[in-house]
Amino acid sequence: MELAVWVIILPLLTAFSLGISKLYFKKIFFKLVIGSAILYLYLLILVITTSYPPKVYSIGQWGLLGINLMVDPLSALFLLIIALLFLPFIIFSMKYTKCIKHDYFIFSYLMVAGISGMVLTTDLFNLYVFMEVSSLSSCALSLYKKTDRGIEGTFKYLIMSTFGSFFILLATILTYYLTGTLNMAEISLAFEDTPFTIKSTIMAFFVFGYAIKIGLLPMHAWLPDAYEDSPIPYNVLSSGLVMKSAVYALIRGLYIMFGIDFLDESGLLTIVVFWGVITFITAHCLAFQQSNLNRLLAYSTIAQIAYIMIGLFVGTEAGLIAGSFHILNHAIMKGTLFFVVGIFNYSLAAVEIEDIKGLGYKFPILSFTFVVGSLAIVGLPPFNGFMSKWLIVEAALEAGFTYAAFFILVGTFLSLTYYLKVIVTLYTKNEKPLLIEEAGLSLKLPTIFLGSLCIVFGIVPSLPLHLITKIPTFLLDNGDYIRILIGG
Amino acid sequence: MEIAYVAVIILFCLGMYTIITKKNLIKIVIGITIVESSLILLLMLVGYKPGGTAPILDKRYEIVVDPITQALALTTIVIGGSVTAVMLAMVIKLHKRYRTLNIDEIRKLRG
Amino acid sequence: MSRLNERFTKLYKIGLVITFAYFLLVLFYDIHNLGTDRKRYLSEHYISQGVQETGATNLVASVLYDYRAFDTLGEATMILTAATVLAFLVPITKATMFGTPFKSIVNQTVKLIIPYIAVLGAYLILFGHISPGGGFVGGVVLSIIAILLTLTYSVEFSEYIFKPDQKKFIEDIGAIGFVLLGLLGIFTGSNFLSNGQANFGTGNAGEVFSAGLMPFINLMIGLKVSAGLAIIFNSLIKEK
Repeated sequence: MELAVWVIILPLLTAFSLGISKLYFKKIFFKLVIGSAILYLYLLILVITTSYPPKVYSIGQWGLLGINLMVDPLSALFLLIIALLFLPFIIFSMKYTKCIKHDYFIFSYLMVAGISGMVLTTDLFNLYVFMEVSSLSSCALSLYKKTDRGIEGTFKYLIMSTFGSFFILLATILTYYLTGTLNMAEISLAFEDTPFTIKSTIMAFFVFGYAIKIGLLPMHAWLPDAYEDSPIPYNVLSSGLVMKSAVYALIRGLYIMFGIDFLDESGLLTIVVFWGVITFITAHCLAFQQSNLNRLLAYSTIAQIAYIMIGLFVGTEAGLIAGSFHILNHAIMKGTLFFVVGIFNYSLAAVEIEDIKGLGYKFPILSFTFVVGSLAIVGLPPFNGFMSKWLIVEAALEAGFTYAAFFILVGTFLSLTYYLKVIVTLYTKNEKPLLIEEAGLSLKLPTIFLGSLCIVFGIVPSLPLHLITKIPTFLLDNGDYIRILIGG
Repeated sequence: MEIAYVAVIILFCLGMYTIITKKNLIKIVIGITIVESSLILLLMLVGYKPGGTAPILDKRYEIVVDPITQALALTTIVIGGSVTAVMLAMVIKLHKRYRTLNIDEIRKLRG
Repeated sequence: MSRLNERFTKLYKIGLVITFAYFLLVLFYDIHNLGTDRKRYLSEHYISQGVQETGATNLVASVLYDYRAFDTLGEATMILTAATVLAFLVPITKATMFGTPFKSIVNQTVKLIIPYIAVLGAYLILFGHISPGGGFVGGVVLSIIAILLTLTYSVEFSEYIFKPDQKKFIEDIGAIGFVLLGLLGIFTGSNFLSNGQANFGTGNAGEVFSAGLMPFINLMIGLKVSAGLAIIFNSLIKEK
């Protein structure tokens, strides 16, 4: 598993060299960006294909004394999302950021390095460090336009995210205090003879801290504000990766350190499922009132992540598969939608729903892609969103959360209403002549690529499911994971 | 020794109170730094041993405190410092645009 | 009515915080009562074997730059990110004067102090693995040179002496150097950031050239932190 560490080093090294290239070698800057992205894609594919059975990479060969990296199927899923989104993101951003500034790509590479670090590490404090790297660089991208609203929204984002990090850090310190180690496998072993109350309190801190970053109900308000005036390609990575990486950290921490039995016993599963239901119902209702496309999609992101949480926290194998599949699908679908909105924004500075009136006839292919993406995200049959949502409903029913399954269906209708509103506006005839700046191929290609993935994964779901079905093995029974980590 | 834990709790809750009630942006940032310093204090306490000295082994002392928490504290300080710097820069920008630091007025001006 | 409402909200928030404080108190009390036989094998190992394994007498340095060097990489990235954000939020071209002219006593004293600060910073960085100090502390001390120049003379003068581009360059070189030093481990057939295991010679503990790569990593971190903090401070000052 020599390659695993390169997944983190390569973007870091690229970001640092881009800093020098920006100062003295401006000519090779964009070549460096593209070249590194392609190399990174190749690297990710190599790592993903060798992800099963999991292997451990020990940084500095310290074994359990130091920090270990591990690639297991859940990390491989996140690496797959990076692989699918990152190159399209880079190609799209090249054209999108009109007065292109170099810092944008430095921040993107730092963000991806932080996320891949979070995904690969097995050390609790290391996880915190990389989470901070990814959230700070994500903030940097979010305020990239330097507009008033952008800065204000980002300030809120940074405050909330730091506030959440403090709870996570508090829980990490207390865990170290109790167990004397930071390696997740050893923590899991040491936690076995810890009293129930202390353990559940520490778990509550973890859940609260990550809930802020994920955007569950009372702590969701920062997300639409942060999305409202940020560069749109960033929103693709943010909703596809940054939010999901918090979900990953939560799942990894809870399932490995505490174990599924404890989660069930402490009642967390019921709480999170209920919390998720309330979150997506509220988010759908709020999304319905929005007139700004970015805010609408942001609320939709909150709702979709609540679906993911329900899937991952029903506590069965089917639920974990469904939730993980929805993580992948949501990244693709939201990526498609944000890319299309980004093109509209690029061509005629459209941000409100009113502005896109009649564009269905001007941009036939793109509008069709938008329709595909939105129908997929609503959960209609031939697309990928349907598959994963159906699996979530099935898993919820199977685990006895009948109300959750019922409300997911209600939520589907709610989301159908506001997406239909957008689609109808898109195809309403508009008499006003529109000034259109033609979108180039480098904008259209990533969009159509992601849009076609929506259909492909809907028709042939076995393609990603091949990887995803292996995920529950190392989560439901944390014994295997611990054995590999301690043995390696 | 035990009283220091109370200090951690007081600092942590004071910082939280500052963050959730104050309207002034600078005060919110101050709240963030207070919470952060309480966590650093907690790290120091976790690694403390009675009678221990700094973990530098030059054969003069027998008991040294836990070196891991000291390293973690250094990391936390650096991370907190970077985040605070970015926050302060944003506060300055916001003040320049809106000519006020009150979060309610900023929200009102923003519409 | 609204005033009453405001008071109620305030009381509610105070209640929330006090409840949380009580909660934490109980938690700490519980944990404290629990911990008579806490397992601390990791720190015990570091204390008993750390000097032999890494060759550094400063155990904090051995944890920071050897056992958990990967954390330090992330940490260094944080400073770089913050410096980049600030340099990007405040365009380099614009610099406004930072008021208050000082008497010549101050100016002359600062001139006298600066060499000593430079020596202190260099000492802290180079002896980081055998005495208190290290790259971060030394870097902060070095960055004080630029900060003092900014405070006593002006931003322009400080940026004339240390050009922003040069600072950025030094920072990136520091970060790249750290990664490359880590990669040396891979090129010699060991793992990333390995030090003693890859036979880089831990040497005699207590000497300056001991602990393998640790002094060099310290140097890189020192360069990076000093440049980064100088950029951060100057950017915050410039924004008026």
